[in-house]
Amino acid sequence: MDGVKAALVLFVASLLQLAVLSEYRQFRTASIVLVALLSIALLRGSVFGAVAGFGTGLLLDTATLGTLGVTALLLTVAGFWIGRYGETTARDRFHAPYVSVAVVTVLYAFGLVALQFVLGQPAPAGLVARTLPLALLINLLLTLPVYALIRRLFPPHELGDRVREVRLLG
Amino acid sequence: MGLLVLLSLVLITVSFRSTALDGAQGTAAAVLRPFEVAADRVSRPFRDAAGWTRGLIDAKQDNKRLRAENAKLRQQVILEESSIQENVQLRDQLNYHGPPSVADFDQVHTVVLTKPQNAIDQSVSIGAGSSEGLRVGSVVVSPTGGLVGTVDRLFAHLAHVTLLTDNQSAVTAIDLTYPTAVGIIQPGGGGSDVLVLDLVSKTKFVAEGDTIITAGSIGKDKLPSMFPRGIPVGTVTSESSNDINPFKNIQVKPLVDFSSLRSVIVLVPKR
Repeated sequence: MDGVKAALVLFVASLLQLAVLSEYRQFRTASIVLVALLSIALLRGSVFGAVAGFGTGLLLDTATLGTLGVTALLLTVAGFWIGRYGETTARDRFHAPYVSVAVVTVLYAFGLVALQFVLGQPAPAGLVARTLPLALLINLLLTLPVYALIRRLFPPHELGDRVREVRLLG
Repeated sequence: MGLLVLLSLVLITVSFRSTALDGAQGTAAAVLRPFEVAADRVSRPFRDAAGWTRGLIDAKQDNKRLRAENAKLRQQVILEESSIQENVQLRDQLNYHGPPSVADFDQVHTVVLTKPQNAIDQSVSIGAGSSEGLRVGSVVVSPTGGLVGTVDRLFAHLAHVTLLTDNQSAVTAIDLTYPTAVGIIQPGGGGSDVLVLDLVSKTKFVAEGDTIITAGSIGKDKLPSMFPRGIPVGTVTSESSNDINPFKNIQVKPLVDFSSLRSVIVLVPKR
């Protein structure tokens, strides 16, 4: 069930990014897809995050007619890494989604530059560095509503799975 | 995780080095298209409302400016119409063969499906492809006639267009008023839409406000220009020179607002 919900949320986020937010130059540097993916990965763990990242990346690469696999690779790594963070040190920490979004926004931007460079495509690191503060700000502002919504859709496992009784063995 | 990373790397390699996945990608993108159109239609009223409110603020100023511009253009049109007639007559008399112009191509009108997705990306995807007669390298212009870019990847009913602001774009262009000032239009860098007319000799005259158009070339040469002659690129916003640079520093403001493209025209060879 979580898989279907995640697919639906990320599909809607991708459509929002492609059809609405990319209309505005300021929002082009930010990404609601990245924020939604990281929120889901934080709440559902590394493997879930990696699979969700791969699927979303592939969807974006397909829709934009770009090189297949570029966004998929970056989002797979981002989803896995933040999922791992969610499984370990980030549990119940208020600042976890904000820290995750801030760090991954920076790493995603420079990861894309590095990948473009490896592929022999234009990789203007200076331009990315200049647009990064705005991207960071918008992504952090998006984190508050997006994470709140996704937390309602994907309640943390700890609450539902908490042990309610003790059964003696032997 | 390892498997997914490996799969991504395989996809990148295959997609970047061959066209094996183009068919599947084109089909998948075509499947996604109705969803994108639906999202666009749902959000359009909100965007239009925002645009309308913004437009109201500038309306008075725009009205005054446009009235003055209109009067000036009316005079210019009369002068240009007589020049065109004279030009046609002289071409016929001389049996002159010049570089191809926009009139030598068929026009395919199509919608812009996706805009640039990040700071590096300077491309859009459009809703026409090889089935509509497009080719790799086909020139794309805006509905107002300004140069937008060229088709770089082709699918059956979709195409990927590299914008003029991409770092790999370069177009031979001339000053419409002083046609001996020939240079190369390139992106100005810095993430803005400003272009630079490079390689114009210091001996040539270029003035602020001049219109820059594509130079074109006769197609029988070894390296013919992809661009027909006379497509407007933009207007000169600043012109200077210094002792270090052997060429003039010319900044050009593009005619096209690349961030608000909704439809484009692709020039295809006449059938």
